[in-house]
Amino acid sequence: MLKVAIVGCGKIADSHAAQINRIQGVELVGVCDREELMAKQLHDRFSVKGYFSDLTELIHEAHPDVVHITTPPQSHFEIAKQCLLQGCHVYVEKPFTLDAIEAEKLIQLAEQKALKITVGHDDQFRHAARRMRSLVAGGYLGGSPLHMESYYGYEFGELGYASGLLRDEQHWVRRLPGKLLHNVISHGIARIAEFFTTATPLVISHGFVSPLLRRMGERQLVDEVRVIVSEEERVTAYFTFSSQMRPALHQFRVYGPKNGLVLDQDNETLIKLRGGRYPSYMEQFVPPLNFARQYAGNFLENLRLFLACDFHPKAGMKFLIESFYQSIVKSGPVPIPYREILLTSRIMDTIFEQIDRRALDGSEELDSMPSFTKSPH
Amino acid sequence: MKGTILPEKMIICPEDLILVTGAAGFIGSKLVEILLERGFRNLRCFARPSSNSAKLKSIVQRCGGAARVEIITGNLLSREDCIAAAKDVTLVYHLAAGRGQKMYADAYMNSVVTTRNLIEGCLHHHSLRRFVSISSFSVYSNTGKPGGRLLDESCPVEQHPELRGDAYAFAKVKQDELVAHYRKKFGVPAVIVRPGYVYGPGNEGITGRVGIGTFGIFLHLGGSNRIPLTFVDNCAEAIVLAGLKQGVDGEIFNVVDDDLPSSREFLRLYKRHVRRFPSVYLPHMLSYLLCYLWEKYSQWSEGQLPPVYSRKEWHTAWKPTRYTNEKLKSLLGWMPRVSSREGLCRFFESCKQKGRHA
Repeated sequence: MLKVAIVGCGKIADSHAAQINRIQGVELVGVCDREELMAKQLHDRFSVKGYFSDLTELIHEAHPDVVHITTPPQSHFEIAKQCLLQGCHVYVEKPFTLDAIEAEKLIQLAEQKALKITVGHDDQFRHAARRMRSLVAGGYLGGSPLHMESYYGYEFGELGYASGLLRDEQHWVRRLPGKLLHNVISHGIARIAEFFTTATPLVISHGFVSPLLRRMGERQLVDEVRVIVSEEERVTAYFTFSSQMRPALHQFRVYGPKNGLVLDQDNETLIKLRGGRYPSYMEQFVPPLNFARQYAGNFLENLRLFLACDFHPKAGMKFLIESFYQSIVKSGPVPIPYREILLTSRIMDTIFEQIDRRALDGSEELDSMPSFTKSPH
Repeated sequence: MKGTILPEKMIICPEDLILVTGAAGFIGSKLVEILLERGFRNLRCFARPSSNSAKLKSIVQRCGGAARVEIITGNLLSREDCIAAAKDVTLVYHLAAGRGQKMYADAYMNSVVTTRNLIEGCLHHHSLRRFVSISSFSVYSNTGKPGGRLLDESCPVEQHPELRGDAYAFAKVKQDELVAHYRKKFGVPAVIVRPGYVYGPGNEGITGRVGIGTFGIFLHLGGSNRIPLTFVDNCAEAIVLAGLKQGVDGEIFNVVDDDLPSSREFLRLYKRHVRRFPSVYLPHMLSYLLCYLWEKYSQWSEGQLPPVYSRKEWHTAWKPTRYTNEKLKSLLGWMPRVSSREGLCRFFESCKQKGRHA
């Protein structure tokens, strides 16, 4: 029986507890939060052995094999470090750490201690994303990816959250190095990082405060970002983050020398893009039918998964957690390679650095339209 | 019409400092207005930094006169902010809550943790004479009794709110437990007020007790049930009295208006005065069956559908039930300021205006 604990009992901890409880051979032995009431409420609602307000007590009394860290990102590094030093495997919610330096230190420590660590990029383990991975691995693209496009839309949604963030200068999201971007974009960046091989691709980013937020008096919170990532002029990617674009896409497109694929996370669909062309007018008649057939196939697959009770909103999280536990129990490879975690952190660091540099230079305000700034590393 | 209390029957004087949390909110701003109307001259209004306090400021400007009204912003999750807010306070109206939040952790944090911090802030200063905590009708279980029974303050509270699928109800049950704990252990002079559905200009939604909108069709679930409505002015008046009246420490008060409309009447009037939309009536037996099936499927599928509908939820929201405000009238001398007829007219007018500007 694998013993698991959760540190940080905010809203994402609910999803972790729910998915952990769905996995066979796992016991949730403790939950911990500096605010004891929060730990108690999670304990009361889920099948958990004990609750704690101190991390050391949790580790010494509950003896977890794995600790899930679901605290705000500012504390990820210290808590993960302490857990690793105490001999626990660690699952860290996204974003992994505040920067790539912290990410490297944690991964080094995990390797030194022969322990495992992963990050909560669970979107990459949803059904359609897994089908995409299988097709790429099976050679559908006709070789390595040449170009990718990752769209990550964001809706401020409930006015409460938006106004909370916009009016509260002390909001914890504002204190992150990349502010709003830091808390949101890692899912979209990680999709690109998965298919890059170099450790330091060229990153060119352009970020600004949207006209909507500017009208609300906001000058610091960048909510529109466009990024180009390039690896030795061989593999390239575009990343788009937008709070204003509709539909608020969560889409990933990958193109190889022969074919391409379009993954739509919101619709849970995967569409194959055929590289070859049909003769004459056939090009205008056959592909639409082919797309219709593929969408129907996606519909039926989603329906099948729903009827099989495997279509939960957090199906990706369950798969990732289960895969991580399997890697621990069977001493197998971790579900997310460390190279990918580090590259995601480095790309994010570079994006924030480029946006910050423009703000610090003072030559260009964030709400103006700056020219691109290049950063090779 | 408004309830009256003779000055000698009040626990505080007009000069004593009153703290109102959630003061910029829907009920809070009306409560501040009533306190100022009643001549209280020393108010501290606490609002979140993210609150829009324009309405509150305009009320203070209009009704404040020579009163000292301090509007402070802060976070009730901060113990320091709570200690500062509670300094020299004799009466607390604690209205701030995690209203409308669907996530358990958020609802709990913004109802229970904040209440704990505020009570401890008050205990730090030793000046408190009354702590009025705002709860909700959603805390009552309403199970195990036949339909049509009277729901009053003696009815049992939900024992397993975590199974209800309603984060707000869970948080409010736990908030009430916390207040009771502090009352018992530390002698905090607390009163709990449980309003029904508070409606009025500023809260233009249709309560789920009438029905739910889904896939373009409104499912009418209330039928002939009386809807436990309270107009915002009436609710604020009840809360004010619960804070002022002598000899009610430890009491719980339900707040509903007189002459409650049935769900069917409410929906008919809404359609006539605000806008028309298609609706289908689901008889109680059928809505109960659907809730049962949803609950069982949610359990069986390990949450593929969230457990938002269940038999517990049906008993709370759609079981035929009668309501009373007798305790409110007899112990606090409360009388509705606005009749249900007038309240509904104002509400529908506000909905119509909002619809035009949407």
